[in-house]
Amino acid sequence: MSQRMYPGMSPDEKTTFAPYSAFDIPADLRELHGRYDVEATARRCRNFRYAEEWMMMILGGWVATIPEVPVKTGLGKIIWETAQAADELGRRLPELRCGRKAVEASEASNQAFADFIQALSDPEQPDLSIEKLAGIFDVLKPHLVEVYERTMRETDQISDAPTIEILDTIVRKTRRHIAWGQEVLDRLCDTDATRERRRKRIDLINAKLAECGGVTGTLESDRGSLH
Amino acid sequence: MKRFIHHSELARDSRFVRQDNAQSTVLAQMPDDVETVVNIFDQFTPMIEESVRGTAAQALFDEYGPGFALMVLNEPLDPDSPISKTRLLLRMHGIFVGELQALEGAARSLWDFPDAPWEFKMNMARQCWDEGRHVQIFEKLLTHLGGEVGMFPESTFLFECACSEDPAMRVAGVNRGLEGLACDVFRDMIRYAEKTGDETMRQAVDYVLADEITHVRFGSEWVKAFTEGDPDHFKRTQDFRREVDKQFSFGGARSDRPDAAIPIAWEDRVEAGFSEEELRDLAELSVGGPSKKTLIEAARILRERHQARKAEQSKETGQ
Ligand SMILES: [Fe+2]
Ligand SMILES: [Fe+2]
Repeated sequence: MSQRMYPGMSPDEKTTFAPYSAFDIPADLRELHGRYDVEATARRCRNFRYAEEWMMMILGGWVATIPEVPVKTGLGKIIWETAQAADELGRRLPELRCGRKAVEASEASNQAFADFIQALSDPEQPDLSIEKLAGIFDVLKPHLVEVYERTMRETDQISDAPTIEILDTIVRKTRRHIAWGQEVLDRLCDTDATRERRRKRIDLINAKLAECGGVTGTLESDRGSLH
Repeated sequence: MKRFIHHSELARDSRFVRQDNAQSTVLAQMPDDVETVVNIFDQFTPMIEESVRGTAAQALFDEYGPGFALMVLNEPLDPDSPISKTRLLLRMHGIFVGELQALEGAARSLWDFPDAPWEFKMNMARQCWDEGRHVQIFEKLLTHLGGEVGMFPESTFLFECACSEDPAMRVAGVNRGLEGLACDVFRDMIRYAEKTGDETMRQAVDYVLADEITHVRFGSEWVKAFTEGDPDHFKRTQDFRREVDKQFSFGGARSDRPDAAIPIAWEDRVEAGFSEEELRDLAELSVGGPSKKTLIEAARILRERHQARKAEQSKETGQ
């Protein structure tokens, strides 16, 4: 009997092709189910987008009031990459049943986070580069990397893979931003007094961030879930 | 952080020197009359002298007096002329601070207009990166040519003129007016680099010009989007851009005149979304102001007076 190319209607009319198991080659150890359902992931994306969009706008406001030329030019690239992060997160929203117009939806997790963002944007004067940069590069961006990585670990690895891919790219670039910020701040803070200013600013912004529960408003329970 | 800053609030490090914008304002409105031009410059002599003191432009002032800018602006860049290097550096430095202000203007648009459409923010964010690279490129070219940051005073006239509080006006002034001017200037710099065989400069400016055409296109598209359904608003943005164009034609130095130091980059501008009609209009409005003959005659008189004053002073101190 010649080989059957296509299955027939009865159990003895199967083809003879050996099954190819994606679970065997290579071993796929991922398990279904994650901490967030579609609605929760969409909310997180809107929260993340809110943070990225506002960071981009605040950095834009500061370029003109920061006197150090390499800081101005370095921020130019970071502004663009931060805008791209917000854009990618927005484009995920229609895929999460938020409607086609949702691409521009940003949402603060709560009023306290919106207030936190405004506090972050407070410094204006040209002698406040340390305060400006420490808020973003010592506190908010590292916080976002922490939350993004936790989201990538805790969401459904297969069903929500598109979110993971987006966050993966953002984390990679954000780590570069943080490294740049550290280098600039280390250079700007070369005396005890300036190091003290940086530390004070970090403490203040960190305290405010803890108060509002971070970008998703769930900082405490999130951190608890890790342990 | 407040919205909208004054041009005097642009932050600079200790290398930079500011130039009073009053000077640029008056220069942009000079009539075609030798005596008036001479009088205007005479009146600004102390201010001009003060602003160039300790900078590389002091040598030009010593030689030509307060009208040195007329010499610099109205002759095309010629590698064989004796003061060509100083003039080239002066122009390079002007472009460098122009890029700096373009970066600051695009970045401020992100903060000043928080409710603007997302695509607009994306375009401005991209422009921030581009202008940031342009600042780096022109800082390197300045060094490449033997100059340095802060060697000439910086006029913030560009930021002052173009940074309107209305987003449609701002993109019209910055992205169509000034970025359009940048296209003219960069096309001219490419020609200059070809003439001198400076391949480093030619290639770098070639890339910058490509970016600027994209920025003008942002402007062309956003002026239309912001003023859609409001022909009156559209007309005001066009008038504003024409005003910026007029102010930055330097009395015809940038124009379609055969003797223009900086010709209009017609083809580049068409690619960037300027209509033929707008370009004919630009050609017309930029030839206004004093003729080259007037400016050169004024520069000659100013130089004579300056030399006479110097001789007088040295006689006094000699006795
Ligand atoms: Fe530029
Ligand atoms: Fe530009």
